[in-house]
Amino acid sequence: MTPTEDTPVLLRCENLTRVYKQGEVEVHALSGVSLVLWEKEFTALVGPSGSGKTTFLNLIGGLDKPTSGELFINGTDLTRLSPAKLAAFRLYQVGFVFQSYNLVPVLSALENVAFVMVLQGRPPKERNERAHHYLERVGLADLAHRRPKALSGGQQQRVAVARALAAGPRLVLADEPTANLDSESAFGLLDLMHDLNRQEGITFLFSTHDPRVVERAGRVITLRDGRVVVGE
Amino acid sequence: MKQTPHMRTLALLAWRNLWRNSRRTLITLTTVTLGFAIAVFFIGIGDGAHNQMIRNGVRMGDGHLAVLPKGYLEAPANHVFLRQGKAAARILAASGVVGRVSPRINLQVLASTANNSVGAMLQGMVLDKDPRAESIKKGIIQGVWPLTADSRGVVIGSRMAAKLKAKVGSKIVVLAGTSAGESSSRLGRVRAVFHTGVDDLDGYVMLSNLEFARAFLLEEGGEAALEPVTSFGILLDNETTLPLWEARLKGLQWPAEAQVADWREIMPQLVNYILVDDMGNYVALGFVLVMVAFGILNTISMSVLERTREFGLLRALGMNPLGVMLLVMWEAWWLSLVSLVLGWTVGGGIHQYFATQGWDLSKMMGDQGLVTSGVVMDPVLYSELSWGRVGLLTLVILATILISGLYPAFRAFRVTPVQALET
Repeated sequence: MTPTEDTPVLLRCENLTRVYKQGEVEVHALSGVSLVLWEKEFTALVGPSGSGKTTFLNLIGGLDKPTSGELFINGTDLTRLSPAKLAAFRLYQVGFVFQSYNLVPVLSALENVAFVMVLQGRPPKERNERAHHYLERVGLADLAHRRPKALSGGQQQRVAVARALAAGPRLVLADEPTANLDSESAFGLLDLMHDLNRQEGITFLFSTHDPRVVERAGRVITLRDGRVVVGE
Repeated sequence: MKQTPHMRTLALLAWRNLWRNSRRTLITLTTVTLGFAIAVFFIGIGDGAHNQMIRNGVRMGDGHLAVLPKGYLEAPANHVFLRQGKAAARILAASGVVGRVSPRINLQVLASTANNSVGAMLQGMVLDKDPRAESIKKGIIQGVWPLTADSRGVVIGSRMAAKLKAKVGSKIVVLAGTSAGESSSRLGRVRAVFHTGVDDLDGYVMLSNLEFARAFLLEEGGEAALEPVTSFGILLDNETTLPLWEARLKGLQWPAEAQVADWREIMPQLVNYILVDDMGNYVALGFVLVMVAFGILNTISMSVLERTREFGLLRALGMNPLGVMLLVMWEAWWLSLVSLVLGWTVGGGIHQYFATQGWDLSKMMGDQGLVTSGVVMDPVLYSELSWGRVGLLTLVILATILISGLYPAFRAFRVTPVQALET
């Protein structure tokens, strides 16, 4: 979905920097990243390994805190939130899709999808309905009661997408979601994410190496050595 | 506490997590169950032996409660006795105490035959009613138990009979020193010989009726009309009423010379023995608990270590650190609950077996048992567990397991999502 002048800003960061210490050495994972993300965008974050993609997603997702700079999501300054408020932010505002699926192994597909809603304290009836709805949307309604180990990689990643969406986030962050999938599953997943972006208006930001995946993105942000080189 | 949906999910997650590595969980449960069963066995047998000793001590001694002359417990002597025995008996009868009241006279004497002399404890009592007499009567090996009205009849133990070369019908001179430095003597005749297998009883105790023994108290200045005795033993019908009756009897107006004491005051050596023996049992129980604690700590720690990434995921999805900690504590809770059910099933079975069949130690102790702290210990021990003990054991095991889960839970609490997801 391409933003217009009326499209509200979802994310704005200014001079975002993240420096890690590895022993005595300082590693500049992100060096002064400034950009804006509008609502309902379907954006790819690209760049070579070590360019800072995962670090950037972690900061936006409230999993990590920047060393310096400003980061506003939906008007909230993430850099000023306590760990508990960051947890609440992740719970209600962000959906995550990880490279290695990261489903809870002892829960069924349906329970995994409903899990974040449990943490949100939604009533069981609503959880159940939404979980079923999103499993249907990702084409796994028939496998709702299977545990992750009884699902293929592609199916597990679809469950992860359903989990991210069912909680009703403003933003879905996906860190190389197709990296462990074969081409067919990867394109199927991307089509699904794109459909959900268009039909439900959910903002997607996903990192990838794959040029075929990049072609489907509405916007591409390229990072190199912790800086935005294209798409600022 | 009302369970929130979040808690129910944590409980479900924890239960399923417990069985992810079922072999490890089963090994841990086996360790805890065995530890628990061992603890139940030792405590049950220990308590059973102690209770048996207390019952024997109370029965063969002065009962649950006794009315004694002041100063007698500190320094028992022939001249220390209740001069107003009749008055004390009247107060006891009026008190309505539910149990058996036995007047007794205890005297240190010298028993002599033509062949030999031995020191003895002459115990005068109502021979056909006294609980102590009933116990000894079971061990009669020669003669016939004398009637209460038999004013000369005495009963002696087998070892005393052998030392005095006395048999049924033999004459025995019983000599007692008085506080004035004199001595008085009476002639008795052996009516029966008993054998209990307990040397202290068989070699030292001589029984007679009250009148035979009272003659010595009259020599000490007692008045026959006041019916002097050394003590009144009170064997309660229901031992659980001891605190009630102790309070009531101690609150009565007794003759100035008398005091009321319970079995703990009368047999302090037995109380100390039980205390020391209990300490030994607690140390053994402590070792078992350490074993249980390490088993649990190992299981939960391994489980937490293996799932660092998963905890990171839960944190990333929005679970707060306390939720992660609670999840691990739920796992410890389930483990404790299953352990307790299994532990009580196995431990309870062992207890039930030894409570009904007993543990026969007669090969080690001999058929008649041992004398410990002046009290006979039966050779067959029976397990006994009070509800208090059951509750205490349950709480101790539960607390051990939950405390063991605290450290791994704290480690899980400290997991940060980014670091965990990088693993």
